[in-house]
Order: sequence, then C-alpha cells, then structure tokens
Amino acid sequence: MHHVMLDHFAGRNTPVHRLDPAAKTVAAIVFILATVLVQRDHLLPFTIVAAALAAYYVVGKVPPLYAAKRLLIVSPFVLAVVVLFPFFEPGHRLWAVHVGPWVLSVSDAGLARAAHLGSKFVLCALTALGLLATTPFHGVLAGMARLRVPRVFVVQLAFLYRYLWVLLDELMRMRRARAARDGGLGPWSLRFRSHAGVVGVLFLRTYDRAERIYWAMAARGFDGRLPAPPTQRMTSKDAVFLCGVAALAAATLTLDRLAYG
Amino acid sequence: MAEPSLELVDVRYRYHAGAEALRGVTFSVAAGERVGLVGPNGAGKSTLLLAIAGFLPAEGRIRVAGHTLNRSTVRDVRRHLGIVFQDPDDQLFMPRVGEDVAFGPATMGLAPAEVRARTAESLEAVGLAGFDDRSPYHLSQGEKQRAALATVLAMRPQILALDEPTAGLDPRARRRLIALLQNLTTTMLVVGHDLDLILDVCGRAILLDRGQVAADGPAAEMLRDARLLESHGLELPLSVASGRA
Repeated sequence: MHHVMLDHFAGRNTPVHRLDPAAKTVAAIVFILATVLVQRDHLLPFTIVAAALAAYYVVGKVPPLYAAKRLLIVSPFVLAVVVLFPFFEPGHRLWAVHVGPWVLSVSDAGLARAAHLGSKFVLCALTALGLLATTPFHGVLAGMARLRVPRVFVVQLAFLYRYLWVLLDELMRMRRARAARDGGLGPWSLRFRSHAGVVGVLFLRTYDRAERIYWAMAARGFDGRLPAPPTQRMTSKDAVFLCGVAALAAATLTLDRLAYG
Repeated sequence: MAEPSLELVDVRYRYHAGAEALRGVTFSVAAGERVGLVGPNGAGKSTLLLAIAGFLPAEGRIRVAGHTLNRSTVRDVRRHLGIVFQDPDDQLFMPRVGEDVAFGPATMGLAPAEVRARTAESLEAVGLAGFDDRSPYHLSQGEKQRAALATVLAMRPQILALDEPTAGLDPRARRRLIALLQNLTTTMLVVGHDLDLILDVCGRAILLDRGQVAADGPAAEMLRDARLLESHGLELPLSVASGRA
C-alpha cells in the first residue's frame, strides 16, 4: 500500500525545485503573512498573490488537479465557517429565506466577508501546497532547522512524516480484515463497536511501535539530541527569488492600504 | 585465551506480570564467532536480546566487548553492540535512508566527513549505494532489511545482533541477505526460527527454551538432531530434511 505523498512532485527538476528550501520556506511564510494581513473586503489585493502563485505553479510544473484535490481535503474545516458568514454579518439585506417562524437573511457585507475569508484560506493553502509540491519534505525540515525553528518541533514533524503512512497502512489493513468478515453490513451498533475496537487496537500498536522505535534509537546512541541535517548554502538566485517575493507582498499590502484610504 | 566478545552469566528476568522470561542463561561468544540463537515462540530470545542491550533490567552478569553492563556502561555497551531489530520500519526512523545510516555515527560524535564516508561505505556494503535520498517508506521489504543492517554496520560494532533478519523476505531477498551475512567478519548473534539461515551463516547454535539454554553446540550437529529439535517445538531445517545439506 503506497499513498500519494505530500511531496509527490518534489523530486522534479525545475528552477523552483532547485531553490534553497530555507528560502522557499521563508517565502511561503511571507506570502501567507501578506495574505492574512489584507484588511479590506476587496478582492483586488489578492489578485497579486494569486497571479504570483499561478506563475510559481506553472514554472514548478505542479499539476493543477493535484493542487485542487489537496485543497479539497483541507477545506471542510474552513468552509463550514465561511458558509455561515452571509447569514450572520449585519448589512444590507440581499435575500431572505423564510424557514417556519425564522427569517434567514443574506447580507451584502456578509457575502463580501465570506469571499474575503474564503480567498484568504485558498491562497494560504495553495502557498503551503506549492512549497510542499516543489520541495522534498526533508528539505523543508532542514530549512526550518536553519531558520532556528525549535529542534523539538522539527523532530516531531519528521517523525509524523515518517510514521503517518505506516500508521495509515496499519489502519487500512485492519479495516480490510474487518470488512472481509462483515462485508460492511451488520447492525449499526455492532459496526460502531467494531470501529471503537479498531481505534483501540491502533492506539496500542502505536504505543508499542513508539517503544520499539525508541529502542532502535537508543541502541544507536540516541541521547535526546538529533544530529543536525545537512545544510545547503543560499545562492544569488535564492536572494533574487526572496526579493521578488518580498516586493510582491509589499505591493499586495500597499494596494490594500490605498483601497482602504 | 582472548576475552569473549559476549559473556552472559546466570541472566534472569521477570516481567511485571510475573512470568519469568529468562531463568538463568549462561553462555559466551568468542570474538569472530557466529552464533544462532534458536527456540520456539516465547522461549525468551527477543527478551534476551533486549536484556543484552540494557533495555530490560535483568539480573546476572552481562559483558559486552569488555564492558560489564550496568547503568554507567550502557552507552559503551550499545556502542559496541549493533542490534538489527525485527521490523525495519522501527529501525529506519529518519526521513531519508542516508540520514538514517548517518544517525549512529553522528550520535557517536564523529566528524561530518567520517560520517559521510561511513554512510556511503555501509550502503555500498549492503548493495544500496545511491539510496541516500530515498524515503524508507518507499523501499521494498528486502531493501528495508538491508538498509536496517547498514544503519548498524555504519557504527562498526564488535558484535552484530540480528532479530529474525529474514522475516517477511521472499526467497531472493533472503538469499541475498544470507550471502551478505556470510561475508561479514563481525561476531554475530542471529536470533530466529529460520534454521536454514542459521545453518548457512552460523557455526554454532544455542537452543533456548522456557528461558533456559537447552542445548549449545555446533550448528551442523544440533540442527540435524530431529529428536532434540522436536522436543523443543522446532523442526529440522528444510535443507536437512530434504537431504540437501
């Protein structure tokens, strides 16, 4: 069983793939900050970010469908909130829906707010996805370590990345073994109980595995400190890339302020 | 006579639940010797391996490469004892194979150039040259097992301890691993049920049952003794039973 990894396209060789992971990580943070800091309910400032991201995806040869699918996976959490805004934000009433004794009204300010937040979410998610699609995960980790992100945090992410798929494989095997016996049928209460059983067994297995991994680490001299990952040096290309990103972020925020004033 | 690489005197261990897993195990392994540790499930083989590495607080005396195991020497012991655990997914915990092989030498405090040299040398030795940037998740089972061996070889241990090294391998991957082990000159303790492997790799076998040494002698003799093996829940190796060895 092999899952499509987050950094599935990271092994390609394009100009953006060749950039220093640390530079790309900084660039992603700058872009996300610029997007989040846009204040006005106006979509114009976002077009700069969107166009820059589109250019990045094209140069990096990231398939749009790949990005769209991953975007869908992370979107439910945010969309649930965004969808509620048109109904609760006060403003000029556009439509009203009568549901029994209640009146649900959609306001113009609410719609604008929803579009604003929705755009922010999509752009931030696409920025992060763009980074992962053009940078191997270990590169992102090494970049984070160089940016002085606390070691504990980087190590946690490294383990998450290494064992998430191993765990998912275990879960899939257990669910398959269960389906092979109940055919996905059976009374609802029994299926619910067996779900709980799968979760419990998965927890115990994870716990055991964590102990075995610790043994394997300790057997090779682990004393709480992980060796530093190999580093890469920034080149002039990385500097140009970072300057470009900073200029675009500044342009986005300036446009926002001008429209605001 | 030179000091043995590994020496166990009356090693005992009891699990919290009360079951006595090791009941006075005594044996020693000379430098360069290759010993197979065999026995049925629950005989205490894996427990013994964990005790030797200092992961379980066992009673008795354990000496590894001249260091008597105790709280203050446990790091020295582990430095000289290279354990390859049964599930390579536990052994390969870093994001990339190269980093994983470099882990041991790097925690030993070796210079970066030396770490790189040992990483390359160990991957080469197990036939995985150029696998540095691969993710362990994407390796085949045989490749994972050989990568796990490389992570330990990079530390140049005096004793190699392998727990069920052929578990889950297909015949070709298994053959390849056996050939690899035959070419190593390190002292070796091979734990497992794969008696054919032990016959191929080890000169001596120790039969463990219910936490005690039930037999200790030349592998070629012990593993041909059908009565002894059957009385301890084992069977003749296939190559012996079919008359090929």
